[in-house]
Amino acid sequence: MPDMDKPCKHRTCLCFSDKYEVGMSNIGVRILYHMLNDMEGFICERSFAPDLDMAQELRRRGQRLFSIETKRDIVDFDLIGFSVQFELQYTNIPYMFELAGIPLYAKDRPEDFPPVVAGGPCAVNPMPFAPFFDAVLIGDGEITFKQINELHLKCKEQGLSKSEFLRLATEIDGVYVPSIGNRTKRAVVQDLDEAYFPTSILVPNCDIVHDRSTIELFRGCANGCRFCQACFFYRPIRERKPDTLVRYATQLMDNTGYDELSLCSLSTSDYSHLKEIVDGIKEQADARKVKLALPSLRLDSFEAEIYEETSGSSLTFAPEAGTQRLRNVINKNIGEQDIYNSIKGAMEHGVKNVKLYFMIGLPTETDEDLQGIVDIVYLVKDLHRRYGKSKLINIIVSTAVFIPKPLTPFQWERQISVEEMKHKQDFLKEKLRIKNVKYSWHGAESSVIEALLARGDETLAPVIEEAYEQGAVFDSWSEHFHYEYWLKAIEKCNIDVEEFVGEQSEDKDFCWDIVDNGVTKAYLLAERHKSRQGVTTPNCIGKCNGCGASKLGRCFR
Amino acid sequence: MIIVRHAKDGDMKYVSHKDTLRVLQRALKRAKIDVAYSQGFVPHMLTYTTTPLPLGVASNAEYFAVECKGVDEKSFLQAFTAAVPHGLRGDWSVEVAKNPNLAYIVIASRYFISAEGDLERVKEILSSQEYVIQVTKKGETVSKDVRKLIYDLEVVEGGIVAILATGNDNLRVDCFVDSLNERYGLGICRDDVTRVEQLVQGKDGLISVKEFLS
Repeated sequence: MPDMDKPCKHRTCLCFSDKYEVGMSNIGVRILYHMLNDMEGFICERSFAPDLDMAQELRRRGQRLFSIETKRDIVDFDLIGFSVQFELQYTNIPYMFELAGIPLYAKDRPEDFPPVVAGGPCAVNPMPFAPFFDAVLIGDGEITFKQINELHLKCKEQGLSKSEFLRLATEIDGVYVPSIGNRTKRAVVQDLDEAYFPTSILVPNCDIVHDRSTIELFRGCANGCRFCQACFFYRPIRERKPDTLVRYATQLMDNTGYDELSLCSLSTSDYSHLKEIVDGIKEQADARKVKLALPSLRLDSFEAEIYEETSGSSLTFAPEAGTQRLRNVINKNIGEQDIYNSIKGAMEHGVKNVKLYFMIGLPTETDEDLQGIVDIVYLVKDLHRRYGKSKLINIIVSTAVFIPKPLTPFQWERQISVEEMKHKQDFLKEKLRIKNVKYSWHGAESSVIEALLARGDETLAPVIEEAYEQGAVFDSWSEHFHYEYWLKAIEKCNIDVEEFVGEQSEDKDFCWDIVDNGVTKAYLLAERHKSRQGVTTPNCIGKCNGCGASKLGRCFR
Repeated sequence: MIIVRHAKDGDMKYVSHKDTLRVLQRALKRAKIDVAYSQGFVPHMLTYTTTPLPLGVASNAEYFAVECKGVDEKSFLQAFTAAVPHGLRGDWSVEVAKNPNLAYIVIASRYFISAEGDLERVKEILSSQEYVIQVTKKGETVSKDVRKLIYDLEVVEGGIVAILATGNDNLRVDCFVDSLNERYGLGICRDDVTRVEQLVQGKDGLISVKEFLS
């Protein structure tokens, strides 16, 4: 636990808009929390969305939501930070605000009320929740979160008002102040190897979602899958050096006692020195009986050797689409031969469980593409019969509904209707009635809300407020999601859902255009046109495709 | 094998048995203690505990046995206490040649139950033939005579000291407390209870595990 009794001039509460188990697994929150606590004069505490029974108890006692560390009321901090990770967490903002005693809209909070700032991946389009916050931090938090805290301390010492602080904050790259409506440029860490990374971290006493230590190999992704927001939002591509990573890994293993270490990134097999660091870390890990986890290994670079060394008997693949035609449309650059070889390789290594992830509702998708998913399942069964080392094979097929997200080449696309989603799911349900094959799917209705909130503008803020009033909270937990709350809210606020989830005109100015993300709109549009012709764009490790992100910082330094 | 006696109090008393075990095992890794692992397909640390405490009940005397080498009992205790959260700090340790199987030999626990009110009445339980309480087993509430599982009750300043069966024949202290509340109108909470010691059969009656191993 960081020192909470050190000399402190500025105290921040970092709030997370989901439960403890989820928030404590988040590497971004982990970085920012320890970074601020390692800064002289600053203390950072945490608060998470309490479960419903805890909320009820707080209300019953008339007690306000407080921080975990010193049990201070959140409203008594100098600065309040909110990490917003996912569109379906938006109703947790009014939920936590209400419990903490924070008036929902920034404009309704008095001048002497502590500033409430938001950040996280959802800041790519902050508009639906922007009216709730005094400022939104866009981009790498190692920069924005540090600078906003430093600036606020300075303003506090000089006795400046909140509005003066906010005016000065607009001068920081990546800070958007809704009341001013400034344009800004996404903040980017220039040299990731030099950036702060915590190796002495909190280890929760209870089980959390990702209960392991994590090192981040690199930020950004070279693949350019056209549906993927993270790919474009985290560019330019910046790697950490191999010896830095091995050092971090060793320190984390020693400091945490975790028996698992995850080598994390958006596409781990693209790390330029993967073999080198796996070898380096493996030796240390074996000595400490620590298991390595390599998520996001891509199908086309499936390295059997690394795989065999680090993994158990299950394999997770994400071809995303069933046919080569559709994979070309979405620029998932793996061919049929790659799929064949990878699965064959896995079978020869005795894999018993195969998980396959696909999206449904991708642009231009037809039933033929869905049949392609079924064909891949039969291919796995066939290859298992011919080459399998294990007796049985279990196949789990999962489909998520495609959400056209901002800052992707598909930001203009329409989302399919709930009826179409149901048709596609029924099609697969019927065809995947195969022995030892399980099919699971994501909710259709929640996908509509996710798309609406992803592409919505500030007119969605009252919808979030109203949905919460109706009872919506923890929408990302399927047992808590109630479509009817949202439908009522949408109706009451007179919102045309189609305006946001339908196809968008190519000359439209999007509300998220106020942020310069490096990646240009022209590039995204060209990618969209290529997708319609089924033309792929190669990954940009060898040769730059000119997406524009390098304007914010050099790739591969 | 080294056996350490440790507390489970403060915030740590709200951490479940399974989670506590994980916390302890991670602490052993941080303390760089060379723990032996099982030889199975999925190796796990060879560590042993005694009967779990109900959530919310504190303890002064949890015993944690660790199959390990290259460390003596004193430095083990030091490294252990430095690595665990404060609520699990150790206060005594011993090296034994053979696993004494504490989970099996511990047959009773002494609890201090902090309580107010007319407590003397509680002692009537000792002179009665039966004491039937409601216990929940696999979701079903059944009546059970637990008189034989209550070894002793004593009223002291600020509460009750109870010796209850632990282990194979077990009386959960939280169920016992619930029955006291119901029968005598007391308002005792689970977190008013502390396990003071775990007991094994000695030559002349029950003795503490510490005494047994010393």
